[in-house]
Amino acid sequence: MTFQWSIIVDSIPSLIEGARLSWYIAITGILGGLVLGTVAGLMRIAGTKAVGGHTFGFARVVSRFCQITAFCYIELIRGTPIIVQAMFIYFALPMLIEVTTGVRGVRFDAVTAAVITITINAGAYMSEIVRGAVQSVNKGLIEAGMAMGISKLQLISSIIGPIAFRRAIPPLGNQFIISLKDTSLFIVIGVGELTRQGQEIMASNFRALEIWSAVAVCYLIMTSALALTLRLIERRMRKI
Amino acid sequence: MKPIIEFKDVSKSFGSTEVLHNISLTINENEVIVLVGPSGSGKSTLLRCVNGLEMVTTGDLVVNGIHLPREKGRVREIRKEVGMVFQLFFLFPHMTALENVAFGPRKVRKVSRREAKEIAHDLLEKVGLEDRGHHLPSELSGGQQQRVAIARALAIKPKVMLFDEPTSALDPELREEVLNVMTLLANEGMTMMVVSHEMSFAKKAGTRLLFMDNGRIDEDGEPSEILLNPQTERLQNFLRHVGY
Repeated sequence: MTFQWSIIVDSIPSLIEGARLSWYIAITGILGGLVLGTVAGLMRIAGTKAVGGHTFGFARVVSRFCQITAFCYIELIRGTPIIVQAMFIYFALPMLIEVTTGVRGVRFDAVTAAVITITINAGAYMSEIVRGAVQSVNKGLIEAGMAMGISKLQLISSIIGPIAFRRAIPPLGNQFIISLKDTSLFIVIGVGELTRQGQEIMASNFRALEIWSAVAVCYLIMTSALALTLRLIERRMRKI
Repeated sequence: MKPIIEFKDVSKSFGSTEVLHNISLTINENEVIVLVGPSGSGKSTLLRCVNGLEMVTTGDLVVNGIHLPREKGRVREIRKEVGMVFQLFFLFPHMTALENVAFGPRKVRKVSRREAKEIAHDLLEKVGLEDRGHHLPSELSGGQQQRVAIARALAIKPKVMLFDEPTSALDPELREEVLNVMTLLANEGMTMMVVSHEMSFAKKAGTRLLFMDNGRIDEDGEPSEILLNPQTERLQNFLRHVGY
């Protein structure tokens, strides 16, 4: 038996199709996760010294509510496997909606379910990254900002945010890559992403060596593209 | 003589530890107060109460007409009139010197970008750093960073300036450049509260010296008089310790 390059060449069109879908799910999910993760990460430390502190009265109640909500979300998602989450959103959620509201037939298509899964899953991990980065900002800088009389929103957007973002880039890069690779799990809900495309070609010609090598290279190209993008962003920013 | 800061029977506790005991103190406009005392005596806390970085626990602290803790929701209004300089500078590391100074006018005073830049440039000139505007804090010496920090605090046009040990993180030869800027401000009539062990500054620029110990103000008077003739034994000991 020899390594047949022609097998790979023949499978390129369907692999590219799968890779495009994987890329779409990953990027959409990562961007969604970034928004969700930033919100949840800030909620997790609402009202604490890391974001200006000194809340009292009603604001304190709101902060506490935010903290608990974010905590529950993060623990729920980090504590369950992503494959179970995907199954739940695709298969169980329609049933849950029917049981609780009586509305039948509400169902996401598989790709939408995949995007939602990545968003929710990556969001939980990213929120911990955001929290860590924000908490690592020197309290003295926060006090220096507060002492000037700026609002908490200005404090977060102009001082804490830019400094924390720089610190968050390396761990965020990790999470981006993990999420991209996690899209391969959506084979279980029938999404025609890269791994499933590989599986299908393999099932017809049994050339496991060629196909899985090609699939691996496709993932490697996509993860490299992500890593490179992040490195460029990091390089464009001022060194601090 | 117009009072601008008034402590009326003010106490401050951290949990069950009281660090300021029933402080009563009136500070008038144009006064330059130098606060000295051993570490843990409460002088930094006293300073940080003025702009609400620490909230007083009991009593009444009036800063520019606003009462703390009763009106603690208005603490930002106080901060807009009270500039602060820290021991470790705390310049925003992602902004150049010029951006650091222009930040306050832009965000707090809502002036235009161009105007903020002009204010910043003028203030950098005042502290002798007009040629360092485009440098990041990490590219400046400690003394230069502290002078930028002073310019940054001045940029919001405060009525009072607070200095929390502004020279104690600096090498002796860098202290002078910072103290010179502070003396300049004092001579211009800025109301200042300075926590410092620089007795030469106290004598040269201070109008009043407060000696604090254990959360109380033990001595209060004209600097050269107090330094020449310290009343309490604690102050005599303290002055010996700081090498005066």
